[in-house]
Amino acid sequence: MKFGNLLIAGITTGSIYAMFAVCVSVWYRVSNILNLAVGDFAMVGALGVDNLYRVKGLPLPVAIITTLVVVAAFAYVYDQVVLRLAQDGRRPIEGIVVTFFFTFALSFFIDGVAKVLFGTDVHAAPTLWSGPALTLGSLNFERAGLLVLACAIIIGGAFWLYIRFTLGGKALEASGENSVGARIVGIDTRQYRRLIFIGTAVIAAVFGIVESPITGFTYLSGATISLTGFLAAAYGGFRKPGRALVAGLFIGVLEAMLGGYVSAQYGDTVLYAILAAAILAWPRALGFESAVSG
Amino acid sequence: MSAATEHDSGGNGNPATRPAGGVALAVTGLSVAYGNVVAVHDATFTVSEGDACAITGPNGNGKSSILMGVTGMVRRRGEVTIFGAPAKNGDVKWAARHGLTLVPERRQLYPDLTTADNIILGCYTWTRSIGKARRSDAYQRAVGLFPELKPHLKQAAGTLSGGQQQMVAIARGLAANPKILAVDEPCLGLAEAVAKRVYDVLAQIHAAGTTLIVVEEAPRRALTLCNRRVEVRNGIAGAA
Repeated sequence: MKFGNLLIAGITTGSIYAMFAVCVSVWYRVSNILNLAVGDFAMVGALGVDNLYRVKGLPLPVAIITTLVVVAAFAYVYDQVVLRLAQDGRRPIEGIVVTFFFTFALSFFIDGVAKVLFGTDVHAAPTLWSGPALTLGSLNFERAGLLVLACAIIIGGAFWLYIRFTLGGKALEASGENSVGARIVGIDTRQYRRLIFIGTAVIAAVFGIVESPITGFTYLSGATISLTGFLAAAYGGFRKPGRALVAGLFIGVLEAMLGGYVSAQYGDTVLYAILAAAILAWPRALGFESAVSG
Repeated sequence: MSAATEHDSGGNGNPATRPAGGVALAVTGLSVAYGNVVAVHDATFTVSEGDACAITGPNGNGKSSILMGVTGMVRRRGEVTIFGAPAKNGDVKWAARHGLTLVPERRQLYPDLTTADNIILGCYTWTRSIGKARRSDAYQRAVGLFPELKPHLKQAAGTLSGGQQQMVAIARGLAANPKILAVDEPCLGLAEAVAKRVYDVLAQIHAAGTTLIVVEEAPRRALTLCNRRVEVRNGIAGAA
């Protein structure tokens, strides 16, 4: 049953990658900006709850709600001040500066503040569903992993339903496809950009909270999470959340299998070698050409 | 820099092109600039309810910029009133809610969305409910006007032919339930037979009571449909 347990571990990790990839690609669709700070919001979620609960002594629900409100408020202010200046002014800034550096700088800023507030040690939000692993035959299910999966299914499902069955969801897609065409039918593309930025920041923070008991977080953990989400999103040309989700799951499962069957020590190296080879072999099919050329 | 001059083309014998009532659109001293480049200067004209008005003139003289300024897609100077109400500058949503809808040059569709989704998004100007939008007369009429689109409703709009995409753009405009439909270069890049089909549909829309504004480089084609003409040329401001 080694395979089964590795598969469960891979799907759990993959669902985290998948959700971050979806956050990256959805916001890129709407704003044409790659959110390199998405992992940092996850880190703030985890360490913020830990700090408010363990250090400041607030009740857990209050610590969680306070952290999420702070993340949402910060994302709102960032959109209003920085992104509005960058994109909504009379001379909007375009190209690679906007695509990368606005959120790259944001990532550094959040890391710096987090280092001051939370220190450099590894911490984690308290486990929301404590107890020994659940077993089914010889399969083991970590409770925190199940929570992550549940969050991924609920949030991913809700988002899919929103896109598929509401006019607002279709308007969101239209904003990403063609902002001029969207404005013509009265869609406020700026409002969607803001909503998605705040929404993905909060979703990332939620995942940080539920995931951190598994991996533990430091103030630098955000960059690694962003990188994996970024990589999975790139497999959909950054614009296809569905493909980003599948790619995230696939990377998670592949990572677990390589770690279990090939080498625990060099699993990641082999993983990135395989991913690089796949990109070189099928750049168009994997969406990398459109990711680079826009 | 361009100016606009109004002409009455006498209706060209088209019984559907008679003016029916009050002023639908009044434009006074409209100027549009892109940075330091003035595209439209001091354009003044009116379009009555029931009119089919052609905006004609050579390429690059500001025809499309007039529509962009009037509909609020770009900021403007000057006054625009839609059915007597002063239009908010740069507010497309306001213009669409007050009855003026733009079918833009080069269609501006959402290529990865289906044809049906493209059309239904026209309803976004007046509702946020997808059920209400699907059941609406505006959506049903928009889809019904183009039977050739029916087999392609679930197909990505970006995979349609140029003519079909133009029909989707017009259908999206109609789904907004406009009182004034402003169509920018509807036949750009289309084969003659397809262009004729597009004009037939525009004639049907006009006959059903919608005021039309059509931007065309070729006045001959436009005047088969339109009873009014605003000529846009470089130079001095035009007069009625």
